[in-house]
Amino acid sequence: MIKKTLQRFYLIFIIILLYAPIVTLMALSFNSSKSRAKWGGFTSKWYVRLFQDDQIMTALYTTLEIALLSALIATILGTAGAIGIHAFRRKYRTLMMGVTNIPMLNADIVTGISLMLLFIAFRFSLGFSTILVAHITFNIPYVILSVMPRLKKTNINTYEAALDLGASPLYAFFRVVFPDILPGVSSGFLLAFTMSLDDFVITHFTKGPGVDTLSTKIYSEVRKGIRPEIYALSTIMFLSVLLLLILVNIAPDEKEDRKRILSAATARRHKISRFLLRKVVPAMMVAILTIGGIFYSTKMDSSSGDNQVIVYNWGEYIDPEAIEMFEEETGINVIYEEYETNEIMYPKIQSGAIAYDVVCPSDYMVERMIENDLLAEIDFDNIPNLKNIGDIYMEQSRQFDPENKYSVPYLWGTVGILYNKKMVDEPIDSWSVLWDEKYKDSILMQDSVRDAFGVTLKYLGYSLNSTDLDELTAAQKLLIQQKPLVQAYVVDQVRDKMIGNEAAIGVIYSGEAIYTQLENPDLEYVIPKEGSNIWIDSLVIPKNAKHKENAEAFIDFVCRPDIAKMNFDFITYSIPNEAGRKLIEEPELRNSKIAFPDAKELERCETFKFLGDENDAVYNKLWREVKSR
Amino acid sequence: MSNKLIDIVNVSKSYGENLVLNNLNLYIRENEFLTLLGPSGCGKTTLLRILGGFESPNTGEVIFDGKDITELAPNKRQLNTVFQKYALFPNMTIAENIAFGLKIKGKSKGYIEDKIRYALKLVNLDGFEERMPDSLSGGQQQRIAIARAIVNEPKVLLLDEPLGALDLKLRQDMQYELIRLKNELGITFVYVTHDQEEALTMSDTIVVMNQGNIQQIGTPEDIYNEPQNAFVADFIGESNIFSAIMVEDKLVKIQGVKFPCVDTGFGKNKPVDAVIRPEDVDLVKPKKGLMQGIVTSLIFKGVHYEMDVMANGYEWLVHSTDMFPVGTEVGIKVDPFDIQIMKKPKSEDAEAVSIEE
Amino acid sequence: MKNKDRKIKRLFAGPYMIWSAGFIIIPLLMIFYYGLTDNDGHFTFNNIARITTPENLKALGLALLLSIISTAICLILAYPLCMILTNLGVNQSSFIVLIFILPMWMNSLLRTLAWQNLLERNGIINIILDFLHLPPLEIINTPYAIILGMVYDFLPFMVLPIYNVLSKIDSDIIAAARDLGANSVQTFLRIILPLSVPGIISGVTMVFVPSLTTFVISDLLGGSKILLIGNVIEQEFKQGSNWHSGSGMSLVLMIFIIFSMALIAKYDKEGEGTAF
Repeated sequence: MIKKTLQRFYLIFIIILLYAPIVTLMALSFNSSKSRAKWGGFTSKWYVRLFQDDQIMTALYTTLEIALLSALIATILGTAGAIGIHAFRRKYRTLMMGVTNIPMLNADIVTGISLMLLFIAFRFSLGFSTILVAHITFNIPYVILSVMPRLKKTNINTYEAALDLGASPLYAFFRVVFPDILPGVSSGFLLAFTMSLDDFVITHFTKGPGVDTLSTKIYSEVRKGIRPEIYALSTIMFLSVLLLLILVNIAPDEKEDRKRILSAATARRHKISRFLLRKVVPAMMVAILTIGGIFYSTKMDSSSGDNQVIVYNWGEYIDPEAIEMFEEETGINVIYEEYETNEIMYPKIQSGAIAYDVVCPSDYMVERMIENDLLAEIDFDNIPNLKNIGDIYMEQSRQFDPENKYSVPYLWGTVGILYNKKMVDEPIDSWSVLWDEKYKDSILMQDSVRDAFGVTLKYLGYSLNSTDLDELTAAQKLLIQQKPLVQAYVVDQVRDKMIGNEAAIGVIYSGEAIYTQLENPDLEYVIPKEGSNIWIDSLVIPKNAKHKENAEAFIDFVCRPDIAKMNFDFITYSIPNEAGRKLIEEPELRNSKIAFPDAKELERCETFKFLGDENDAVYNKLWREVKSR
Repeated sequence: MSNKLIDIVNVSKSYGENLVLNNLNLYIRENEFLTLLGPSGCGKTTLLRILGGFESPNTGEVIFDGKDITELAPNKRQLNTVFQKYALFPNMTIAENIAFGLKIKGKSKGYIEDKIRYALKLVNLDGFEERMPDSLSGGQQQRIAIARAIVNEPKVLLLDEPLGALDLKLRQDMQYELIRLKNELGITFVYVTHDQEEALTMSDTIVVMNQGNIQQIGTPEDIYNEPQNAFVADFIGESNIFSAIMVEDKLVKIQGVKFPCVDTGFGKNKPVDAVIRPEDVDLVKPKKGLMQGIVTSLIFKGVHYEMDVMANGYEWLVHSTDMFPVGTEVGIKVDPFDIQIMKKPKSEDAEAVSIEE
Repeated sequence: MKNKDRKIKRLFAGPYMIWSAGFIIIPLLMIFYYGLTDNDGHFTFNNIARITTPENLKALGLALLLSIISTAICLILAYPLCMILTNLGVNQSSFIVLIFILPMWMNSLLRTLAWQNLLERNGIINIILDFLHLPPLEIINTPYAIILGMVYDFLPFMVLPIYNVLSKIDSDIIAAARDLGANSVQTFLRIILPLSVPGIISGVTMVFVPSLTTFVISDLLGGSKILLIGNVIEQEFKQGSNWHSGSGMSLVLMIFIIFSMALIAKYDKEGEGTAF
């Protein structure tokens, strides 16, 4: 019976493979450390926090709503479609089945892009309804393909027998044919529901601001570190489905029972347990879900209507409490969207597909947006709290906003090297260490064209705003040389990886550095001697904003000293708000060299400038070449 | 007398709590056409599958030509099976189906082609080489299944209710075909069916089975004329079965009337089962019969008339070429030789009977 | 009677046909439109030609290589699994199917991300290997990790169609093959394998196309060091707003997709290989 044991081993191996990540995620949901890389001890606090986190719960219910609605509608359209297609002649049938197969066989990305193009071209504003339409579209094929085989198997004789017994075709259909294909219809529904629940790519392309499904929410958080509440949520979802499965299978099988002769008592027991397990428990779960849904949607609806402000900001760039306070104090509903890089944000503003009210671009990007006439002049009468912003920062801003007309500084910082004291031989002070063979596969670079080139240009002694092709080519050569030494090109994941001792050296933003030091005291931050980048992220109002006054109210709000301090505590990025800085409690932080470096360190630092579309294209081309080697 | 080819010794098989074969002992001779006959669920198919190697018995052995093949894999046995649902390979042509076993054995191309032609001729399907199984009718598929099995020249052919799905005329034709094949090829046939007419027509030996036990083994005439117990009597042909009293040797009391018969050794005044075939009941003028009754039903069956006669509390089944209209009073006469006396079974499940012939 | 019935039934398909025309056909046509025109609306092949730049060709080539390898691995893993599963017996079949659908209830992004945790230098696998004094696994941020991610994500799509087809093979046919003298290997090669071809084709397509076009997996497990064609196209749309060149390159991708659709049409006309 070696064969049997081998078979069993193989099965177990596959099951381990399938479920290992799931078990990992479940374990992480109990990890008291926020960072994925460290185990901080057992806790169940994330489960509690989960239900208090409006964003996640909203995303969850949006996901469930879309899945349910799209599966339902797809089932109706699809079943009708299958019946119709079945009645056609072979030729047309093959043609229509071919069309049906397209969304299934087509790459997600192509389907998503095609739908996005459609929506934008026909001026459907992207939002909940476009996601719904997209989901219905890719769900229908699953329904049709589930129902068709059953249609084919249906005995035409039963239908004709019904007609013979006096039934009208409609009656015969619903009483005889439909129950026959019902298994196909239900499995189609279930399949559609599952596929919709898990979809990411298509939703990614067809969604609008403020609307998130779980998948898109998770993706937006992937780069920097998933909130453990999401692990908790996933664990709950998974366990409930598992529970349902087990319950359904444990209940004594009706068919089996009929075959045997049971005593009256046993038969009744079986009947009751079947009823309980298969009907009552699922019904209770659905009831709980529905009540929860109503609860959370009333929370959402409590402040809707047009008194809103649509904010488009970096991820984890504001304390959620601040948003809540703003909403409470002003009654304005905040719709909040996040982006990862300037380059992702810009096309959205430029295309005008969505009208944001407040955006937070970096210095050079503000410059670009001004040049392309995308920004509105801010009415500073509405922003009295501007006085809390230090003069030096307003002066710095004139590099990209010459008359301080369009922007208000929000957060600033430097770019530098974060290194693990225990993993390097000597203290670091130069960019050259990023090319040191000693640290092969232990170096993290920023996945951003300007940052990567900026660092290299500085190392070579050039300006990080260089447009000289020779200088740029030299920088590119260095980057290509460096690639084998690089462990990964990441954005915010530098944080987790450095905390987890995965890498010895990383290029990081000063704000992240502070957080990592708190989590891993072995980490040190330094601005290399060749000089680096100093950056400012500012709040701006796009020209096509629909709620300009609300936008200005928002900007004024975050310039309050107490709010600025809240943000500092939460984000750990340097604030330009002098009044706010005074409120910081711990002196090490208030006077931190990392958060607030002195002038000497900033001597050789430059801000990025907008180099013009042509030069941008050159940079992008060179960078792509680096990435593709 | 030909020798034993297959010996089934003390074979039992259970599925869970269900006892399907109960300590069977049976042997099959070379060149014999042996039929396993019984109702659904009696175990005949299971026994066939054990012979074929698709099931293993829980106890007992199967000896083939002197060798114990109980645990031998199906592909190593010198038997071939014709399956009830034909089981033709859907992805192959008819020629490829037939050639399958030969290719496995590594026969040459020429040999195989000859064999295919020969086999198709044998089952009257010349020219069907390139057809696909799903384009054939049931009867044609069945014949191909047979052809596929016999080209391998097995010593024994196992057939699992192969004619079940065919219409009457085709079935009868195929029955003659099978007998012809057997005689031409000299193969031993082990045939499974629940149709007793089929069994009577084709077999050299019939094994009647019920609920995992062998009820009787014998030639068709033996089984028909001298059933050993009520089950066999009832299963084979139509009969009148009476709970009777054996008064003494050669005298039995049926429904209160004494009938002379020819059986002895059943004791005095002992309860027995008595069987009289419908065609052995003579209907005569009332005074001339041993018993009197009234005709209650008359059906014309072509070959004979079938009548029900109510007499002494029993509804006699009568087959006769004479016709008596409903309501006629008739007398019943039975030749002593035509009364078969059987022991009454001890319980509902009749015991296995082993026969040495 | 029959014809009138049929006509009524055909009407049922109406809503679906309108939907598919609007949301399947027209969007595809839009990709064609954007792919074959430039910013001013003039016809051009430039967008398609974009695929021939060295980086893009490399991205395409790499994606092809990785997806072919992943598909092959999926097939090799799935087939024996399906054979084992079919031998388990009918009662458990739907339960087994659910075991494979069940992981999909946990978000696929998270599951893929969890592999980072498992594969990292200080990740769980290496902790275990270290404990057993075995050399560490260093495949994170390499193409190997991407292959793993692809296999993991798409394995169920290979298993289900093959299992479906295998479980439909009449056990009598297998018995007949054995009866006629075939041993296990011969039975497999001559009977089981040919009969399972529709399922294999279906499974291969359902794995190859998504793995060819993924950008998420290379994002999460490749350390952003490895650019696949999916990444290139996604960036054209999301980071560059270059709808024309993005569509042009998508058109190239569609060639592969159409090719696999043709394959299915040829080998699996009756849709036997579908997973349901």
